[in-house]
Amino acid sequence: MVDLLKFSIPGKPDYVGVVRLAVSSVANRAGFDIEAIEDIKVAVSEACNNAILHGIHENCCNYEVACFLDEKKLTIVIDDQGEGYNTIDYLEPDLKHPKEGGLGIFIIKTLMDEVEIMSDKIKGTTIKMTKYI
Amino acid sequence: MTLELKSIFNNQLNQWVIEVQGEIDVFTAKDFREELIRTYNEKQENIILDFGNLNYLDSTGLGVIIGAYGRMKEQGKEISIKNAKSNILKLMTITGLDKILIKSNC
Repeated sequence: MVDLLKFSIPGKPDYVGVVRLAVSSVANRAGFDIEAIEDIKVAVSEACNNAILHGIHENCCNYEVACFLDEKKLTIVIDDQGEGYNTIDYLEPDLKHPKEGGLGIFIIKTLMDEVEIMSDKIKGTTIKMTKYI
Repeated sequence: MTLELKSIFNNQLNQWVIEVQGEIDVFTAKDFREELIRTYNEKQENIILDFGNLNYLDSTGLGVIIGAYGRMKEQGKEISIKNAKSNILKLMTITGLDKILIKSNC
């Protein structure tokens, strides 16, 4: 059986911390250890950043965060109805020429067990990430 | 979800120490960036970021540090991190930024 928890969050930087707390609480409830909870917290926060900074126009509308929880895993889906953005051409960090942006998706893919990203100019962007318990 | 910054210039060592407390994320990164720019404009010397009381850092915060690193490097100055907690060290390690921002003697 899968439990679903769903949140709708205004597309403002002010509320990313609220999402972090909520998702940490769900991950704790699922039985993850502290390090895994921290990984989930960072990954979800990075996906929220992308929704706010690159997906929807800041402050214009809400984005959705859905947590699917069962005995073996936690899957989190961050879905915005924005204009989409380039999620494919992300690069691994280049230490000779470090850049200020572009680390978010790299961090998500490193910290979570499975990550799927779909971005479309009409439908917006969906980032689906899973961590196994 | 707050960020507190305390910047002190150490005259003996001729460097800034910025004590960072709370969380650096997409909400607070702007304040962090402004403080780094303000201190460096006041005195263009090396900056040590004391992360002993920093509980959370994300890619927007890392971006601010990378930006400062790039600007300061052009002028032969350095920015480095000390006392980072394990969750923040992990983020630095996976992005490889520990190699350029964390000194072994910090």
